Amino acid sequence: MAFNIIETCIGCGACIRICPSGCITGEKKERHAIDPTLCMECSACGRICPSGSVENRLGQIIQRVKRAQWEKPRFDHKTCMACTICVEACPTGAITLGEPASKDPHAYPELGLEKRCIGCGFCVKECPVTAIAMTAPVEALPA
Amino acid sequence: MKKGYMGKVLVVDLSTREIWEETIPDTVYKSYLSGMGLGAWMLYNRIPANADPLGPDNMLGFMSGLLTGTGSLFTGRWMVVGKSPLTGAWGEANCGGHFSPAIKRCGFDGIFVRGKSDTPVYLYCDDHVREIRDATSLWGQDTVETENALIKTVNRPNAKVACIGPAGESISLISGISTDKGRMAARSGLGAVMGAKRLKAVVLAGTQRIVPHNRDEIKRLSQICNRWVQFQPPFISGPLTAPVGALMRILPTVLTQDGLLYKILLKKWGTVSMNQMSPEMGDSPIKNWKGTNKDWGFSKSYSSNPDVFTKCERVKYHCYSCPLGCGGICLTNGKYQETHKPEYETVLALGGLCMNQDVDSIFYLNELLNRMGMDSISAGATAAFAMECFEKGIITTADTDGVELTWGNPKAVEYLIEKMARREGIGDLLADGVKVAAAKIGNGADEYAIHAGGQEPGMHDSRNDPGFALHYSVEPAPGRHTNGAGLYYEMYQLWKVAKGIPKIPPMYLKSSKYKTSKRHAEIGAVNSKFMNVINGAGVCMFGSFIGAKRIRIFDWLNAAAGWQFTPEDYLETGARVQTLKQAFNIKHGIEPKANKITDRALGIAAQTQGANKGRTVDVDTMMADYWEEFGWDPSTGKPSQEMTNRETINGI
Ligand code: SF4
Ligand code: SF4
Ligand code: SF4
Repeated sequence: MAFNIIETCIGCGACIRICPSGCITGEKKERHAIDPTLCMECSACGRICPSGSVENRLGQIIQRVKRAQWEKPRFDHKTCMACTICVEACPTGAITLGEPASKDPHAYPELGLEKRCIGCGFCVKECPVTAIAMTAPVEALPA
Repeated sequence: MKKGYMGKVLVVDLSTREIWEETIPDTVYKSYLSGMGLGAWMLYNRIPANADPLGPDNMLGFMSGLLTGTGSLFTGRWMVVGKSPLTGAWGEANCGGHFSPAIKRCGFDGIFVRGKSDTPVYLYCDDHVREIRDATSLWGQDTVETENALIKTVNRPNAKVACIGPAGESISLISGISTDKGRMAARSGLGAVMGAKRLKAVVLAGTQRIVPHNRDEIKRLSQICNRWVQFQPPFISGPLTAPVGALMRILPTVLTQDGLLYKILLKKWGTVSMNQMSPEMGDSPIKNWKGTNKDWGFSKSYSSNPDVFTKCERVKYHCYSCPLGCGGICLTNGKYQETHKPEYETVLALGGLCMNQDVDSIFYLNELLNRMGMDSISAGATAAFAMECFEKGIITTADTDGVELTWGNPKAVEYLIEKMARREGIGDLLADGVKVAAAKIGNGADEYAIHAGGQEPGMHDSRNDPGFALHYSVEPAPGRHTNGAGLYYEMYQLWKVAKGIPKIPPMYLKSSKYKTSKRHAEIGAVNSKFMNVINGAGVCMFGSFIGAKRIRIFDWLNAAAGWQFTPEDYLETGARVQTLKQAFNIKHGIEPKANKITDRALGIAAQTQGANKGRTVDVDTMMADYWEEFGWDPSTGKPSQEMTNRETINGI
């Protein structure tokens, strides 16, 4: 059982635009569909869907979250071994390698292309040494 | 599928332009693992007997490892397999970088290409699209230009490219395949197979998930491994590695090496850490294998001391899933701005083997060879061969546009390599390696052509470690320094996890290394078997050097695939793959005995001075003993028909 778009879908196409594996199809204003063989279960479609129409493999509706509130990875460079697993794990190519510090010649990962991040958490899942955590953005206090 | 492997391969026929997927039965993975084992199984069954390596019937496989992408460490190696045009035998080349996970992210454990295109093409593959695309505009471009152009054209996150340079295009038999702008799958001449197929590149941009059976267990084992890797006490300065090497030469006893020491060197400098230590020990061949550490003493090797390389290192370079990062990107002040940090093999092949002390020329040639897509070991070895021919008067200035090919002349090395890379003048004759060149030159030149079955050996002297002599001569892909050696066996420490294999004491008499004994073959057989497990899993050999209790490859495999095999079972699997590769050679008419390395590398005649003075390796006995270890005919090295049938099909 993969992810599924239910009949409340309004056919806005937001999910098509965000899906990193390009596995959603559908005509405008018609119910969209997910190709279960290619869906990687990143949940991005569910988080973006304005009509709450995407259910996960357990049949639960994925909650819509405002894009600005999506969780993003934070890297702990003390634990990180610069192995680049997360860079390759990221389906959107949001993670880049930073410039090395003068004393430490290794290049550590950072969210260099933050706009691409869809908050899927695959980087966290694949990091072998738990050097990444997903955190919600902290809203700036009004001045 | 929660097994770590993808269970499918992609097959491409460039002649008919057909592309299809094939599902691989689980029994194949259980019998041969993924990676090179799966590759051997496919190629044994798919390449018809005596196929022309440069013809449409040869099949080239781009393989990922079973452990790649499972959360394990040091498992980013990818492998290319095919029938070698250089040796006519089983061909394999192994490379790091980031191409290995890219193969699996497209949903495959391997991508196989057969047939031949009329015009230059590249293969593009992502989650939806598998296409043969036109590469006419890329033909003639170097590997860095090609990669940059393709990344730009396909414009996909994390797209990865494997490509050939002009050397592969011009069917140089010592050309390789490049990824990450100059990391080469260099050996066996497989770049020429791509060139002959007119396949300029393979571009991958999939995003599929790699799902192991038990990722948490894999991570737990990875954390143990990483703790050992991060243990990095301060270490001596670069030039001080030389006296350490000298001490190892002088001592009458050998302290069995704990690979942790080499790990510390690798993490600090990379493989160039051996630039001075190895020649001092007697491990580096000097002056086309006729020199010794006395010809390449401390003062000569000083210009390439390890610190020289880390001083211009802009950033360390990690292959996928590597916690160590032995690579680097170096700034150079020559024609090119940057280059991958040259490896020890490259430095010695272009340095000590040619007596060349000019390290700037090595940086330049390293980048030139990477861009041209040529094997730096074979290229350096061929240059050294030409220099000896010049010394003997077989090649003269009339052949070299007036350039004096004298030992140690950096201009001569540059001249030769530039000519080879472009296949111009004398370079046309040399661009297919020492064996082909010697046959064309004649006049007794073959005496100076050091090779095993046509493959120039790595920069490790078989007179110092007889294990190298054995592996150079018996491996189905001959002449390779990466399949085993006495030293490797010490570092693997396999006896700590597997039963029934020789245990090495913490200290032993050096002289015992050079005595004829069945022990060499016993150890050699375990090395080969283990290397097949490593190559099935996609593990980096340097990672495995830290010792079997610290890098738990067998446990990782069980956790990834959900198997319950013992280390002994895995070594049995490694033996099966070895028999399969040997059967491949027999099928293609290779006489195993003919792959014996050239006499000079065996100490026939023995050297009269230096670290390896008086040493001769009785490799004939070792080869026969080794073949017996696998149950093959010890007089011919051939597995019986019954054994071949059993091990190549194995219930499939
Ligand atoms: S879960 Fe991710 S991969 Fe699957 S359809 Fe939604 S956006 Fe695409
Ligand atoms: S959560 Fe991590 S893997 Fe997912 S898109 Fe963001 S950076 Fe990439
Ligand atoms: S996967 Fe983890 S350890 Fe590896 S580079 Fe990313 S954050 Fe660092």
